[in-house]
Amino acid sequence: MVAEILHCLIVSAILVLGAAAPAHAAVVVSSKLSSESTMIGQMIRMLLNAAAIPTVDRTTLGATYVVRKALIVGEIDLYVEYTGNAGFFFNIPADPAWKDLRKGYELGAKLDYQTNHIVWLTPANASNTWALAVRKDVARANHLRTMSDFARWVSTGGNVVLACSAEFANAGTLRSLERTYGFVLRSDQMIVLAGGDTSATVGAAAAQTNGTNMAMVYGTDGNVVAADLLILEDDKHDQPIYAPVPMVREAALKTYPKIAVIVKPLMESFDRDTLQQLNARVQINGESINAVAEDYLKSKHLLQ
Amino acid sequence: MQRTLTRQNTIDPLGALLSLIGCAALFLLPFVVFKMNRVVPGTARPLLQILPPWAVFGFYAAMLLVAVIALIFASARARLIASLVGVTVLITMIGVAGDALTPAGNQVVRVSPGAAFWILLLCLGLMTADAITRLRPGPGLRVLFLVLFATVAALVLSSGLLDHLSIMREYQVNAGVFAREARQHVLLALGSVSAAVLVAVPAGILCHRVPRLRAGMLGTLNLIQTIPSIALFGILMVPLGALAAAVPGVATVGIRGIGAAPAVLALFLYSLLPIVANTIVGLGRVSSATVDAARGMGLTAWQILTDVELILAFPVILTGIRIVLVQNIGLVTVAALIGAGGFGTFVFQGISQTAIDLVLLGALPIVALAFSSAVLLDALVEALNRPAR
Repeated sequence: MVAEILHCLIVSAILVLGAAAPAHAAVVVSSKLSSESTMIGQMIRMLLNAAAIPTVDRTTLGATYVVRKALIVGEIDLYVEYTGNAGFFFNIPADPAWKDLRKGYELGAKLDYQTNHIVWLTPANASNTWALAVRKDVARANHLRTMSDFARWVSTGGNVVLACSAEFANAGTLRSLERTYGFVLRSDQMIVLAGGDTSATVGAAAAQTNGTNMAMVYGTDGNVVAADLLILEDDKHDQPIYAPVPMVREAALKTYPKIAVIVKPLMESFDRDTLQQLNARVQINGESINAVAEDYLKSKHLLQ
Repeated sequence: MQRTLTRQNTIDPLGALLSLIGCAALFLLPFVVFKMNRVVPGTARPLLQILPPWAVFGFYAAMLLVAVIALIFASARARLIASLVGVTVLITMIGVAGDALTPAGNQVVRVSPGAAFWILLLCLGLMTADAITRLRPGPGLRVLFLVLFATVAALVLSSGLLDHLSIMREYQVNAGVFAREARQHVLLALGSVSAAVLVAVPAGILCHRVPRLRAGMLGTLNLIQTIPSIALFGILMVPLGALAAAVPGVATVGIRGIGAAPAVLALFLYSLLPIVANTIVGLGRVSSATVDAARGMGLTAWQILTDVELILAFPVILTGIRIVLVQNIGLVTVAALIGAGGFGTFVFQGISQTAIDLVLLGALPIVALAFSSAVLLDALVEALNRPAR
């Protein structure tokens, strides 16, 4: 205890006196604070360990910009990011490539390797972006599956009440969807929750508060499962794709080339529904992230 | 005899207020809340629906008895015992309610204490604190009380009585990392305060000796205090990251743009003002006659500083350290965002999952830590201020 306080002291006083930390050959696996990022990170860590690759657990390291920075400077070796975020990392958020999983992945992977020698491994075929979800009973009655179906329904006088956050309604996301699909939501068809997160919007749709039958959600949100909502497919690709993708430093990948092979089947096993279900177990049921991760790996025979 | 009777019949004003609030909460607000899962809003469950009537009425009777004692008893000892019995009954009741509401083997439903529980706990806590104050315990006895409370709390938490409550559920899920984050939280707070003491006390002495420096120094430190913590953490990431990249060896001792280094540095900067200011005030209060006497006795300047001035100023300096320690225990929370760990990890994870119980799992230990360190250092300050016997 005293030695550790002393170590803190040394660090804080910026006196370069302490003993050097051991140079680790172990792969430092990290994650953001979100449960999805942590869960996939833990799965990857378990798979690497099973393949006799030593790892260090630095999951739930911090906010996006912190984890990203840590990867670039080499404090961590691997974490799960989202493809669309590369638009912000490289300051080209308007590039149309981000609206397509393949193109966005290729552009981001190329830029990140050239700039930072960071390698993008296999992405999941799922997008954790803003989406509209509708109550399943309403979807069945009105044959709603895609955003185009939804636009037709709204334009022919469909009885829509959407719960969304002020950010979603005002920051251009809704306008963009309206332009692409050719529909207009009147202000009386929306319930705008100031600072509303998805649990509030989904809650409103589930409880039909003030006749709410639709909610703003994230694509892989666990809430969607619990509330029995259907996410409308973005069939005209209006929204950027935020597909989970493990990113690894080239140096670590060169030491353990097997990492890419190990991660591939895991990432390919994910789709939107799988991630929703897994997120629901963590977020809604409150199960331990490690238990859910291990359980999933075993159920997919990725881990013995 | 006459005198004691009149004293006993006086209505205690604080007791009246606490009894009123407590009884209103008990009869009007939900005591226990049931949630189908971790994130949905809960529904209040009346106690009579979940527990046998004798237990519920026994509980009400116990609470009313405590209220009566709070109202009319003047003896601090009786009030203390009553409030402690009240807390025991209250905690047992919520634990039993949690057991009764949780279907066997179900890991999904959540049972949380309702508003009535928290208000009653607050009222009883205030009654306990008030009773202890009336007993006028010395610093040693206060620390003893703290140790006793902490021990009992640890025993209750590990007994399994509360295991079906939502916050303990979150603890069970996070048990593997809880100790690590707790240690990290304490280390960050203590480390930054210790470093600040090493720098701020000499700086305060310098300001005391050279009054020209005072305005500039305090002004600068004041300016630092006005920077919001999250902004300061963010600002420090840039120069520390650059330092780690530019100077070989710096990164290997743990000084990097993220993690503990920017957190400790930011907390260190926040800690300077109260300690420097209190050192100046403390040294200023040492009477010049005392210093003259020491000089007359042939003490060197260094001896006067260490053996006379600093000794006499120490209680005031310690008060500054107490402010800083309590402040930093709270501020460390934000450091979780820049990868420094600590209880803030649970707070921010909880916010991102909209799981309020996970937020509480981080927040309640922070409150307990801050409270305990305040009691400990207050006792120390008082012990030092007492004339030697």
